[in-house]
Amino acid sequence: MRANTAKNDTLVMDRRSFLAGAAAAFMVPVTLTFSSRPAAAATTGVGAYIRIDDANNVTLITGQTEMGQGIASGLAQIMAEELMLDWGQVRFEHAPVNPQVYGLPGWGLQLTGGSTSTMMWYTPLRTASAKAAYRLRAAAALTYGGTPDQWSLLVGGKLKHTTYGEQTFASVLGQIGNTTDPGAVSFAGTKRIVGQPVRRIDLAGKVDGSAIFGADVMLPGMVFASVIHCPTITGTVKTCPTSATGALKVVNLGNAVGVVATNTWAAMRIASSLQSKVSWTLPSNLALLDSTALATAAQALQDAATPVNLKSYETAGTPDDKVGQLDVTYKTPFLAHACMEVLNATVSVTKTNGVVTFVELWLPTQGQSFVPGTVRSVPGLSSLTDAQIKVNSMLCGGGFGRKIEQDYVLQAVKLAVAMGKPVKLTWSRPQDFKNDKYRPCASMRVRLGGDVNGITGMVYRNISASISFQQGANPEDTGAVAGAVKLPYSIPNRRVEFTPLPTGVPLGYWRSVGESYNTFAVESAIDELALSLGQDPIDYRLRMLTGDQRATALLQKLKNSPNYTAMGATKRGVAFLKGFNSYVALAVEVGLDSSSRIKVTKAHYVIDCGVVINPNSVEAQMQGGLVHGIYSALYSRVTFAKGVPSVSNFSNYRVLTPRDMPKVTVDILEGDPTTAMPGGIGEAGVPCVAPAIANAYQRLSGTRVRELPFHPGMTMSD
Amino acid sequence: MAQVSFTLNGVAKTITVDSIETPLLWVLRDQLGLTGTKYGCGVEICGACTVSVNGQPEKSCDMKIGEIAGKSVMTIEGLKNDPLGARLQKAWLQYQVPQCGYCQSGMLMSAYGRLKAGESLSSTATGMSNICQCGTFQRVKEALLALPTIA
Repeated sequence: MRANTAKNDTLVMDRRSFLAGAAAAFMVPVTLTFSSRPAAAATTGVGAYIRIDDANNVTLITGQTEMGQGIASGLAQIMAEELMLDWGQVRFEHAPVNPQVYGLPGWGLQLTGGSTSTMMWYTPLRTASAKAAYRLRAAAALTYGGTPDQWSLLVGGKLKHTTYGEQTFASVLGQIGNTTDPGAVSFAGTKRIVGQPVRRIDLAGKVDGSAIFGADVMLPGMVFASVIHCPTITGTVKTCPTSATGALKVVNLGNAVGVVATNTWAAMRIASSLQSKVSWTLPSNLALLDSTALATAAQALQDAATPVNLKSYETAGTPDDKVGQLDVTYKTPFLAHACMEVLNATVSVTKTNGVVTFVELWLPTQGQSFVPGTVRSVPGLSSLTDAQIKVNSMLCGGGFGRKIEQDYVLQAVKLAVAMGKPVKLTWSRPQDFKNDKYRPCASMRVRLGGDVNGITGMVYRNISASISFQQGANPEDTGAVAGAVKLPYSIPNRRVEFTPLPTGVPLGYWRSVGESYNTFAVESAIDELALSLGQDPIDYRLRMLTGDQRATALLQKLKNSPNYTAMGATKRGVAFLKGFNSYVALAVEVGLDSSSRIKVTKAHYVIDCGVVINPNSVEAQMQGGLVHGIYSALYSRVTFAKGVPSVSNFSNYRVLTPRDMPKVTVDILEGDPTTAMPGGIGEAGVPCVAPAIANAYQRLSGTRVRELPFHPGMTMSD
Repeated sequence: MAQVSFTLNGVAKTITVDSIETPLLWVLRDQLGLTGTKYGCGVEICGACTVSVNGQPEKSCDMKIGEIAGKSVMTIEGLKNDPLGARLQKAWLQYQVPQCGYCQSGMLMSAYGRLKAGESLSSTATGMSNICQCGTFQRVKEALLALPTIA
């Protein structure tokens, strides 16, 4: 049984309502966009996904950003399958900004997020590649003779004809322009490269230092910049010095002071030294920027019968009459993204008669669609056309949602305009931590009623900082309840409520967004109820999965896995997620370290992400999801004292190091491969971690932890 | 302005720097264009800036260029020229260790430095303190423990 893909795409769009609104204007036409050479793409303006060069190498040109998730390889595998390529002849390249061609099909936005890249591109890219295969056959016929049908593809970027022999793709490119779209195409139907653990195509440069991340861009005549923001978050510059010893320039950027120098270290050092010399305008309502005040406000909203802006979702039956066995509240904190590559941007402007006529940017960005608008928002640049703005998307040293944002891009453009020469802006690590767009904090009250056969009633109230509410949208925020709605379980009486918690803390998307907190609450609460009824946690969930065969198969697979049974029954916990068009079950085993702090000792995932493009990448994303999940469940949070964030570096935002890594195993199921589509894997590994740990910890200790993180205040040396 | 002489990836260098206080990391990156060594935290925690100085793993973000005078520095760009370094890189590829890859220069240089200093593979695998936010730790360990099988 398959998920309804169209419906789920809509679901994903709902999760990003502001994006969906922008996308509604048009849909990307799924047509062949194939060009023979870069020059053709440039001159015809036809969007091009596939380029073949004279050496017969084939390059995928993609609007999706490679930030570690392996998307470049995954999409290139889809192309290589249809074109019967040798993996060694496959390359990839980030596309220029052109959302109509390179934007996510279905959103029309060129961005990377929401685990959508593979699921949205799978069919369009297969189609474009299959059409390209046809046009290569047609070009061979025009070049050498015969008809397109008499030519067939051979593995390795070659074409074959009984009379005209074997020829390379490269040898027929001169006739590509004389071929036409074949209309409907059929797919290769093979699994020579798709589904195989081929080695990612971006690895060589990542082990010899030659990979160029945004932070590594070097341009002739470039100068180096850094920034200092207000210590109170969202404060703005009232007055600042106009120069500083050792600085080439000091620039008032509005929300920060920029310092340009001859190297990055000097720029960071001088920027830091200016803090005492800048006068800041503080935000007006510090209560909205204070964790203690926000916690009080959230509790008041939980206690209110009908809080302002209350929205209800999935109301069914008479839930208020059916709850009474469990009434608990879970809390999760603000979190930072902490990408290993700090925010940075390199910008060069060209002036003609003193007027900026061209802006070129080199960015680690997940949000290409938004960059031209960012450039045009700078005074004096509002009339630049798209053709006058060139964006080079670089490798991202992690993104996790942070690099969709435009704050650092805007600053770099302003600095480049001020300098009139190329500027590379690099935030210091403390500035990166203190000026994040934080994962929303949340309070989730869960009331459940039920018996050994399952949950009969659920009333769920989420009071959380809301990204869309902060962006001015109406209080509707389906992203805030993602992970609490569309559950796989059959719960006849239920109501899911949401009220935005007003806050001035800047908010942003963080790997797995709403599921990162709602799944903690839902999967913890189900486990609490099962435990109180003396039920096995997997059996109890299975009983509530009426008709969802993939979910049932997944949980049964977990239950029967030797990796699960090898975990001690008194120290293991499980959690389950249906989300991102995938299904994930996780079991962890926990123990205590010498300081009685909880430690995850083993983890076992079972994931059904539909069509598997690269099992090695699926495994890597589960490993990565586990690491994100553990650090955020056990160690890290961001609090604010009247607007001053509690974190400044990894010293007070503890993440994982090799010694913290448990042994993790991954089983991959593939749904129904005959009709399946790929699901998401980038975020799906995160949400189950916190509840699985909490569920395991209760079995180990008898204590239920309902507020994350388990061990706040830990440092990297703990 | 000051002149500093040292050996970089086997080649003798004399460079002019604005200040002998400038950390080695930023001389490598901004002045010499060797951008494989990364900035991560600036306070010797994350390990992304790890290089080898006179055969020892050192965090270059807090090492003044003046302290490098007369010493021998190896960065990720020079790792392939050492047989052990080349084998580590091969293991990293075989086990598909990197995800975003940003921390991997430091991972490799930390592992290289520890092994060069005589640490065992298993002690290196668990003793390294490099941060990786993509979560490559298990593969780092697998690649290290498999090193004896890498030609």
